[in-house]
Amino acid sequence: MEKKYFKSLDELTIDFQKDNSNQPAGDKQSLLEMQQEVTSLSSATRRDFLKVFGFTVASAAIVSSCEQPVRKAIPFLIQPENLVPGVANYYASTFFDGIDYCSILIKVRDGRPIKIEGNSLSSVTAGGTNARTQASVLSLYDNARYKNPMAKGVETSWEDVDQQIQNQLSAIKTKGGKVAIVSPTIISPATQAVINEFIAAYPGSFHVQYDTLSASSILKANEKFFGKAFVPAYHFEKAETIVSFNADFLGNWLSPIEYTKQYVKNRKLTEGQRTMSHHVHFEGGVSLTGSNADKRIQIRPSEEKIVIANLYAEIKKLAGLSSIDVLAGPVDVKELAKQLWAKKSKSLVVTGSDDTESQLMVNGINQLLENYGSTIDTAVHLKIRKGTDDQMELFVKELNAGNIDGVILYDVNPVYDYPQKDLLTNGLSKVGLSISTSVMNDETALLCGFICPDNHYLESWNDAEIKTGFYSLAQPAIRPIFKTRQAQESLLKWAGKPADFRIYLQNYWETIQYPKSTGYLSSTAFWNAKLHDGVFESSEKEVVNLPFTITTADAALTNTKNATKTDSIELVLYVNTSVGTGKHANNPWLQELPDPISKITWDNYIALSPKLAEQLGLEDEQLVKINNQITLPVAIQPGQEKNTVSVALGYGRENAGIPSNGVGQNAYHLMKVVSGEKKYWLNEVSLEKVGGTYPIARTQTHHSMEGRAIVRETSLEEYLTDPSAGNELHKEIQPHLKSLYEQRKFDGLHWAMSIDLNVCTGCNACVIACSAENNVPVVGKDQVMMRREMHWIRIDRYYSGDTDNPEFVRQPVMCQHCDNAPCENVCPVAATTHSNEGLNQMAYNRCIGTRYCNNNCPYKVRRFNFFDYTGADVFQGNKKDEVQMTTDLRRLVLNPDVTVRAKGVIEKCSFCVQRIQEKKLVAKTENRQLFDGEIKPACAQSCPAEAIVFGNLNDVHSKVAINFESERNYHLLEELHTLPSVGYLTKVKNTIA
Amino acid sequence: MMIPIVTLSGNFKSLIACSIIAFFVLSGVQTKAQTPEAEKNFQACKVCHNISGPKLIGPSLSGILERRDKAWIYKFVRNSTEVVQSGDAYAVKIFEENNKIPMPPHNLTDAQIDDILAFINNGGKVAAEYIVAVPENEAEKLEKEMVAERELLAEKQADMKRDANRSFGTTFYITLAILLIVLIDLFGTKIIKAKFVHTTVILISLFVIGEIMYKEAAALGRQQYYQPDQPIWFSHKVHADQNKIDCLYCHSTAEESKYAGVPPTNVCLNCHSVVRQGKITGTTEIAKIYQAIETGKPVEWIKVHNLPDHVFFSHAQHVKAGKLACAQCHGDVNTMNVVMQVNDLSMGWCIDCHRKTEVQFADNTFYQAYKELHEKVKSGEIKKVTADMVGGTDCMKCHY
Repeated sequence: MEKKYFKSLDELTIDFQKDNSNQPAGDKQSLLEMQQEVTSLSSATRRDFLKVFGFTVASAAIVSSCEQPVRKAIPFLIQPENLVPGVANYYASTFFDGIDYCSILIKVRDGRPIKIEGNSLSSVTAGGTNARTQASVLSLYDNARYKNPMAKGVETSWEDVDQQIQNQLSAIKTKGGKVAIVSPTIISPATQAVINEFIAAYPGSFHVQYDTLSASSILKANEKFFGKAFVPAYHFEKAETIVSFNADFLGNWLSPIEYTKQYVKNRKLTEGQRTMSHHVHFEGGVSLTGSNADKRIQIRPSEEKIVIANLYAEIKKLAGLSSIDVLAGPVDVKELAKQLWAKKSKSLVVTGSDDTESQLMVNGINQLLENYGSTIDTAVHLKIRKGTDDQMELFVKELNAGNIDGVILYDVNPVYDYPQKDLLTNGLSKVGLSISTSVMNDETALLCGFICPDNHYLESWNDAEIKTGFYSLAQPAIRPIFKTRQAQESLLKWAGKPADFRIYLQNYWETIQYPKSTGYLSSTAFWNAKLHDGVFESSEKEVVNLPFTITTADAALTNTKNATKTDSIELVLYVNTSVGTGKHANNPWLQELPDPISKITWDNYIALSPKLAEQLGLEDEQLVKINNQITLPVAIQPGQEKNTVSVALGYGRENAGIPSNGVGQNAYHLMKVVSGEKKYWLNEVSLEKVGGTYPIARTQTHHSMEGRAIVRETSLEEYLTDPSAGNELHKEIQPHLKSLYEQRKFDGLHWAMSIDLNVCTGCNACVIACSAENNVPVVGKDQVMMRREMHWIRIDRYYSGDTDNPEFVRQPVMCQHCDNAPCENVCPVAATTHSNEGLNQMAYNRCIGTRYCNNNCPYKVRRFNFFDYTGADVFQGNKKDEVQMTTDLRRLVLNPDVTVRAKGVIEKCSFCVQRIQEKKLVAKTENRQLFDGEIKPACAQSCPAEAIVFGNLNDVHSKVAINFESERNYHLLEELHTLPSVGYLTKVKNTIA
Repeated sequence: MMIPIVTLSGNFKSLIACSIIAFFVLSGVQTKAQTPEAEKNFQACKVCHNISGPKLIGPSLSGILERRDKAWIYKFVRNSTEVVQSGDAYAVKIFEENNKIPMPPHNLTDAQIDDILAFINNGGKVAAEYIVAVPENEAEKLEKEMVAERELLAEKQADMKRDANRSFGTTFYITLAILLIVLIDLFGTKIIKAKFVHTTVILISLFVIGEIMYKEAAALGRQQYYQPDQPIWFSHKVHADQNKIDCLYCHSTAEESKYAGVPPTNVCLNCHSVVRQGKITGTTEIAKIYQAIETGKPVEWIKVHNLPDHVFFSHAQHVKAGKLACAQCHGDVNTMNVVMQVNDLSMGWCIDCHRKTEVQFADNTFYQAYKELHEKVKSGEIKKVTADMVGGTDCMKCHY
């Protein structure tokens, strides 16, 4: 039987329970809105008409009588070397914000960074990016940044601030006091050296590494297991069976870009590969990784430990070791244990648990499965999380005891994201000297005596050691926009050292890193080469073959014997792929990015299962108070474990600037700290229905494709017997495709795109990359609720199967560039036409906004500018700018190679025609043909899974042409004979197990 | 009175290499013969020294032998720093006077230095016996050609000026007046009895008025014959025509970027660090360059050729890939003292050219991808491949 796909529960109920023939397309709400709009239109009076008419005539007259403005061409006084006006330069750099690491290239046009791309020279992120990395360029141009150093809330000069701080520091030094530097994990060796210099200058000072998303349990478990606190390097590409207990390794766990690269490597069925890893995922909420798993098993967070214990016990049995009986878990893991045992040394078990004992048992499992040395490398350490929770606990305790005289808060915002906010604010008030180096306005800086704003990372020098021997450099791509100073320079200055971090960094690299390299004649040559590449990979290793003590894992197993089951409602606190920990909450691109699971923008919410909602009598958007602390709307989420509710962290910022203030609620303060460990879930949660509802801006029910064979899917088993499995329809349709018109032929170039549904994880990096590249506007929550979001590429998410435990499939959809395009025929002014290269062209200046094309597009990929969102219009009244995207500062991020659209025109994906034109010109000037893969649209460039392939269909050897010949290839709604230039490869799930 | 005459080397490459473009001719007294080698060696000197005229980096050199003896000069030329450090009062004095920029050492023999000194004394001229005479008739011929060329250009410019000044305003008002008169007569005075006269005149004048209005309306937002005054009276005629400086020397990014680029002030200085006086404007206009450098404020030129924001025009595409001459769109800028926009830069004008202009179809490997077109050319079905055949009239070639 064919699977039933649905995008929302509403859709399912409408389809099943009501007669479709009497029901117009769309949901109830849209019908109501349509009615309202009709009434409001009919209320327009003759006078209104005359007013509008008069205005139009008058404005036309004024505009046409205007003199042409005098435009100036102001050249450089002395043109910098390598800077050609109109040609972009790329500088290698590094993005690290305490959560994600990415080696990047910064695209700089005429002195402005405008786009972030992945750096393919890095073997860690290998050219991939994620949504937050892509969006980070917008935060450079944020009015909520600190623009001056401040002392006691008053803007002042750096000299003054330094004087005051140095006076206080020397006073602390003479009385023998302590200064604490609180930072997130420092992965930069040079910055660590700077901090050490500071500590040396002020003896008694100490450094606390505080991670908002900590890997404390892994560090602790490894300390017990191996005698050393570290996070090992994981190799998902070597694992044939992956078992994850709530580790969202494709979304937020440790190094997701790297893991996505690895994960898809043995799940791609192109280029002759015929094997796939099998991925089993245990979780309570729905995570990005869970929704991509071959098998997703719902368990409550409290059951996680028991399931791990069961698995460990089973594996011990299989290994022939004496095992103890543990409490029976909610799921039977015998089969899974057997499967893992069969894939010994080719499997990987990971857990995102905050519990050290669970981590210890997982270590035990991996040890027995001989995964250490194959899929887990202990000789290479991942250095992205070094902070343990007890460090911070100790610090807060000392702070409250009044034992600390000075605090330097470097790039952390604990007042917002530390679970016990009151303890911290109390403690801070007791400190004589408090300094924040925050880049942006934040809650913690507000309580600090001094604010010494750091540069944005795109204005800074830095380096990073992401893994043992994997180094990268960061360089500024623009001079500091405001009167800010790098935090490292501030620290050096206060430590009485020469405060030029670039020189410091270069010296550090030339003395410490250069000896590790080979093949460079001088240290300067080495520095220059590495600055160009952005990465340096030495073959350093940590101690290999660490001795392990498996008894620690056994002890953990024994402890679980006494675990008890509870039936209460449990709450999972997670971070989503957009705003993350809340550090980027002030980024409008990220706020408007639909969540890959719920498709909700601009808010956090309580995700709960349909069954629990029924039981508690809750509906979507109903306001509910959790634990008597925060009130959030409900969003019913298929796939949630029945008694588990989820709330995203990172919302509810209070002092972060216009777009983020008051968006959602802060859930950090729901978190508990139990015996020095932060807990990312809690049980016995009370949900109290309060009066009223709160509207949620969901993009989910928009653009519904009404249940046709949009996503085609099969299992690995079927695929191996018949590669066209799941795609039978494609062959069936072909002979029926007939047209009255002659089929268009393309000589030379015919652009096409192939999307491998099997490896697309739905991480959303492409959506942000597209927005950044193509000046796609942000419209704000109200407009999203009216289905007016402007994203040129969307990722449709379909559920299939049981509503309580559905499977998930995702499909990126952008303009399909149909060769028989329905939109082109209906445009009354020929604003949308077909190019000789197969592009569906859109000429904005020709468009008069009839929206016929929008109406006639079967894929619903065209977007209409209901207002002027970017400040492109002559008339100020057309502007709609709820999130301050039209300020001069924000507009610096606009790509000068793409027209900024005004009110009243349609826009859509152009296949990044500006990039096509650019590369064609490069080929022409170099007197050569284009080579395959030379042109990469922004979406394809950003994709960490390399799911999107772009190229010339006329070149039979191009990747895209080969993919189009694949038996897995099909087109959206191909039965309409629209002849799309976008092809999809069927999704294959590995159910072999 | 000595009048410096600016001359230019014809060889453009050597011009950049030496970063020297001018030397000054001085009518002096011939003293002693010297070899062309002196002229060659003097290239190194003239980077910093004039023979006469204003001081460059170092002092001007005429009359040097009257100021210093030869032994001192030998020492100073070979290693000036040593002389300054030895405490020689005169050397220290010039060192201080010239912003403490030391003169780099030159490895020259006494004879070579003597030779250069003679060259300086001779006003920067090689001795008469070494000058190679240009045959009279050939020089004359060259001169004639030049004159003919200039006349042609002047004629073209006159045409352009006439076009620029052509205005439909007068015609419009006259026609309007006629129309009014006829209307008044038709309904009021009734002097002309035959009504068909009224009808004809009204129709004709309405047609003329309509035509003019259409033309004017179409030209809205366009700037044909736009010729603004620039902050510096800069003559393309002097630079590009008389001195034969290639367009790409100043507009150097035209081959690599969408923008041809207005030259940064430092490019002006490549020549104008030496050429401090113009033929027409003297020092006033050139002084504005130095002022810009000194104040740190770049010159704010008025942009003449403007395209709307939604048009993406690439100079590199047209100049480098399409191998078009600058004059094809910009007109004969080399005849203009003040630059004027000659073409209307309308979309119709672009498209028209795209339909007529051949692409580098056979010469550029890029176009090998167009297999069908190549076959058509081979079989003689089409004679040439114009830009529109490879998509040159598609919207998204210019609008995206």
